[in-house]
Amino acid sequence: MEPKEQSKEKKEKLWFWNWVIASVIFRLVLIYFPKNLNLASRPEVSTPLTSLRRLAEGYWLKQLSMSPYAGSMYHGSPLLLSLLGPLTVKRIEGQPDHLLCSLVFVIADIVNAMLIRATGQNLQMEYTRSLKLLDHVKLSEKPEIIPSGDIAALVYLWNPFTIVACVGLSTSPIENLAIILSLYGACKRQAPLAAFGWVIATHLSLYPAILIIPMILLLGYGTDTPPRKLFLQRRNVEVGDNPPNDRCCEREEVVHRSEVPHVFSWRPVIHFFCWTSLWSVYVLVLCGISVKQYGGLWELFKRTYGFMLTVQDLSPNIGVLWYFFAEVFDFFRNFFLIVFHGNILFMMLPLAIRLKHRPCFLAFVYIAISSMLKSYPSVGDSALYLGLLGLFVNELADMQFSFFLFCGYVGVSLLSPVMHNLWIWRGTGNANFYFATAMAYACLQIILVVESVSAMLNHDRKLRKPLTELQDGKN
Amino acid sequence: MRFKMYGSFRCRMVLLLLFLLLDCNFSNCLADTSSEATMHTNNWAVLVCTSRFWFNYRHMANTLSLYRTVKRLGIPDERIILMLADDMACNARNKYPAQVFNNENHKLNLYGDNVEVDYRGYEVTVENFLRVLTGRHENAVPRSKRLLSDEGSHILLYMTGHGGDEFLKFQDSEELQSHDLADAVKQMKEKRRFKELLIMVDTCQAATLFSQLQSPGVLTIGSSMKGENSYSHHLDSDVGVSVVDRFTFYTLGFFERLNMYNNDSLISLFSSYNPSMLMSTAYYRTDLYQRHLEEVPVTNFFGSVMEMIHTDSAYSLLSRKESFRVEIKMSADKSVPDKKRLMDNPSRLDQISELNIEDQHGALKRIWSTIQKEMEKVEDVDAFVSYGLVLIVPLLTVSMWLTW
Repeated sequence: MEPKEQSKEKKEKLWFWNWVIASVIFRLVLIYFPKNLNLASRPEVSTPLTSLRRLAEGYWLKQLSMSPYAGSMYHGSPLLLSLLGPLTVKRIEGQPDHLLCSLVFVIADIVNAMLIRATGQNLQMEYTRSLKLLDHVKLSEKPEIIPSGDIAALVYLWNPFTIVACVGLSTSPIENLAIILSLYGACKRQAPLAAFGWVIATHLSLYPAILIIPMILLLGYGTDTPPRKLFLQRRNVEVGDNPPNDRCCEREEVVHRSEVPHVFSWRPVIHFFCWTSLWSVYVLVLCGISVKQYGGLWELFKRTYGFMLTVQDLSPNIGVLWYFFAEVFDFFRNFFLIVFHGNILFMMLPLAIRLKHRPCFLAFVYIAISSMLKSYPSVGDSALYLGLLGLFVNELADMQFSFFLFCGYVGVSLLSPVMHNLWIWRGTGNANFYFATAMAYACLQIILVVESVSAMLNHDRKLRKPLTELQDGKN
Repeated sequence: MRFKMYGSFRCRMVLLLLFLLLDCNFSNCLADTSSEATMHTNNWAVLVCTSRFWFNYRHMANTLSLYRTVKRLGIPDERIILMLADDMACNARNKYPAQVFNNENHKLNLYGDNVEVDYRGYEVTVENFLRVLTGRHENAVPRSKRLLSDEGSHILLYMTGHGGDEFLKFQDSEELQSHDLADAVKQMKEKRRFKELLIMVDTCQAATLFSQLQSPGVLTIGSSMKGENSYSHHLDSDVGVSVVDRFTFYTLGFFERLNMYNNDSLISLFSSYNPSMLMSTAYYRTDLYQRHLEEVPVTNFFGSVMEMIHTDSAYSLLSRKESFRVEIKMSADKSVPDKKRLMDNPSRLDQISELNIEDQHGALKRIWSTIQKEMEKVEDVDAFVSYGLVLIVPLLTVSMWLTW
C-alpha cells in the first residue's frame, strides 16, 4: 500500500508543479507580445492607483527634483516609487519595454501562489485535526478531500484576471502579495510577518486595514475550526458516555481530547500590535524622508489616502463609484462618500460576530466586499479573492449558483471591453452601456459573497447534525 | 531646577529674537536699494492700437509694424502683449485679404504667418488696458493675456490711435486720460512691475498724454506737442486708405537698418526725428529717467538682449544631487529674497515653541522632534530610502527567527 500512496503523492506533486511552470511560461509568452497586448490601457486593469505608466511618470518627476505627486498622475507610495521606478527606466535592447517590471510582477505572482498553497496546507491540516477531535470519522477521512492549497494556488495562477493584471503592468500583484503575506503570517502564528504584511498592505492601498479583525482572530483563536458549540457538545456527549469506573484516566482523556483552543490567547495579539507599531514607524520614517522636500507626510497622506477616499478621479473603471459621483451634487458629495465607505465598515462587525470561528474565511469575505466597494477597483483585486475562494473548496462544495456565477464572470469579462469600445471608440454607445456591465459585475460579486457565506454556515450546521443525533440517541 | 531652565530659555529666546530682527532689517535694506541693485533680466512690449473702422487702417499698420520690429530684434511672443481694436486684415473692404501693408510698394506683409494677437476687437478697452498694466486681472484670465513683468523688466509701451489734449480715444467710444495713465504707472512702480519703462505715443497732441507722470524710471516720447496734429505719411491708392503715420514711418526707417547686435543709442533715435518731415515736433521727456540717453542702446527697449552669466559646471537633468547643490549655491549668492527668510523664521519659532512645550508634554514629543531633526539632516534621500528598503528583508528574517 505504501509505495502506491507514495507514487500517487509524487504524481500529484508533479502535476501541480507542471501547471505552475506552464502558467509562468504562458505569462512570459504574453509579455513578449507587442506592447503587452495593450492590456495596460484597459480601464479594468489599470486604475489611477495601480497603473505602471503613472508610476513611471511619478519617477520621472522625482528625477527632475519635483514632487512625484505634482500633476495628479501618481498616487501611490513613495517606497514603491523607489522600488519600481528605476526599473521602469531601464531599457534592454531588443526586448519589450518594461520587461524588468513584468518579471517582477511574474515573480510576485509565483510567490503569491506559493504562499496561498502554504496557507491552504496549514488550514487543511488544522481543520482535519479539529475534525478528528470531534470524532467525525466520516468527514475527516473522506477520500475526496481535495488539497485545497494546491487548488487555490492553481486557481490563482490560471485565473485570467490574474494573468491580465500581471501582463497588463498593474501593481496589484504587489498589493496582493502584501495581503497574502499577512494572512500566511497570521496562520503560522508569526506575529512580525503578519504585522509587516498588514502594515505594507495598508500603506499601499488603504482598504486592507479592515483585515485587522481577521488578523486578531487568527492570532488569538487560531485558524478555521468548526464552531465552538460543537466542541462543548462533544465534551458533554463524551462525559455522558463514560461509565463512572475509569473516571480518573477517562477524565484526562476527555480533557486532552477537547484541548481545542477556545480561549482567546492575548500574547500573540499583543506581539502583533507591538510589531505593527514598529513596522509602521519604520515605514513612516522612510516615507517621511522620501517626501520631506515635497511637503512632508501630510502632503503625502492628502495625495494618496485623500485621493483614494475622496474619489477625485472619475475615469471609468469596473466599479460603481465613478458613475455615481459624476452626477451627484457637490452638496451631497461628502455624504455619499461616507455612505459608500461606511458600507464596507458596518459589514465588518456582524460578519466578525458570525464568522469568528473561521477567520480566514472572514478575511476572504472582507477582501471581496472591499474590492467591490473600493474607490478604484480593478480585476487584480478580484484575482485575489477568487484565489482565496479556492482555499475553501471543501467546505463550499455545495455552494448554490456556482455555475451561474462562473458564466456571469465570463460574460462580464467579455462584454465589458466591448461596451467600452462601443462607448469610447465607436461612439455608438454611451456610458450607460459600460456602467451596465459594471453593475452586473457588482451584482455577481454580491451573489458570490452571500452564497459563499451561506454555504459555509450550512456546512457548519451539517457538522452539528451527527453530534445532535448522537446526543439524541443517548437521551 | 525649573526656574534655572526657564532663565536659560529666556536668554536663548532674546538672542534669537534679536537675530530675527537683524534678519528683517537686512532684508528690508536689500529691498530699498531699488533699480540700481536689481538686474535687467527681461524685456516686455505692450503694443496698443486703439481705433476701429476701416479708415483707421494706418493705426493697425503702425502697431503691426512695431510688432514685427520688436520680434525681429528678439522679444518673443510670450513677452509681447498685442492689442488690436479692429480686424483690418480680414475686413470685407480689404482688397488684399489677410494682408496688411505699411507702404504702398506692398513689400512687407505685416500680417504674415506669425502674428499673435492677445486682445482683439472689443476686448481692447480702457479697463483691460489698465488691467494689463497694473496686473489686476480676474482669476480666469489666461497667462498669455497678462503682463507678467517683474522688477528686472524693461517695458516698451507703444500706443497709437486718435488723441487730443490729455486724452487718448479708445474704440471711438471711451477715452484714456493722462492722469489715468499716470496712476497706472505709479501703481506699476509701487508693485515693482518694471525697472525701466519707455512710452511711445503716436497720436495728435501726444506729448500731453504723459504730462501727469511722476514715477522714476520712465522715459516718454510723443509724436506731437500740445496744439499740433500728427499726420499720416502717404495714401495707398490701391488699398484706398492711408497706410502709415509719419512718426511711426520714420521710426521704422531707423530700425530697418538695425539688427539685434547694433549698439545705436536712444539719443540717435530721438534725434533722427526731423520736425519738418514729421510736420510736428517729436517731444520726449527725460526728467524721470536717470540714465543718460547716449549710454542706453535702443535694444534696451526694442529688442531683447540678455546678460549672460557663464558657468563652468555642467547642467544635467538626471543627477538630482548636483541640482540640489546648485540651488543652495544660487540662494547664497544672490541677494536673498524675502521668501527664503520667511521660510527660516517659522522653523526658528517652532524651535522656540518646542523648547517651551518640551517640559510640559514629555518624552513622546521629544522623540518625535529628534526623529524630525534627524530626518532633516539626511541629504542623500534616494540612497537612504533604498538602504531602508533593502534592510527590511534581514530585519524580517531576524524577527521571524526570534519569535519562532
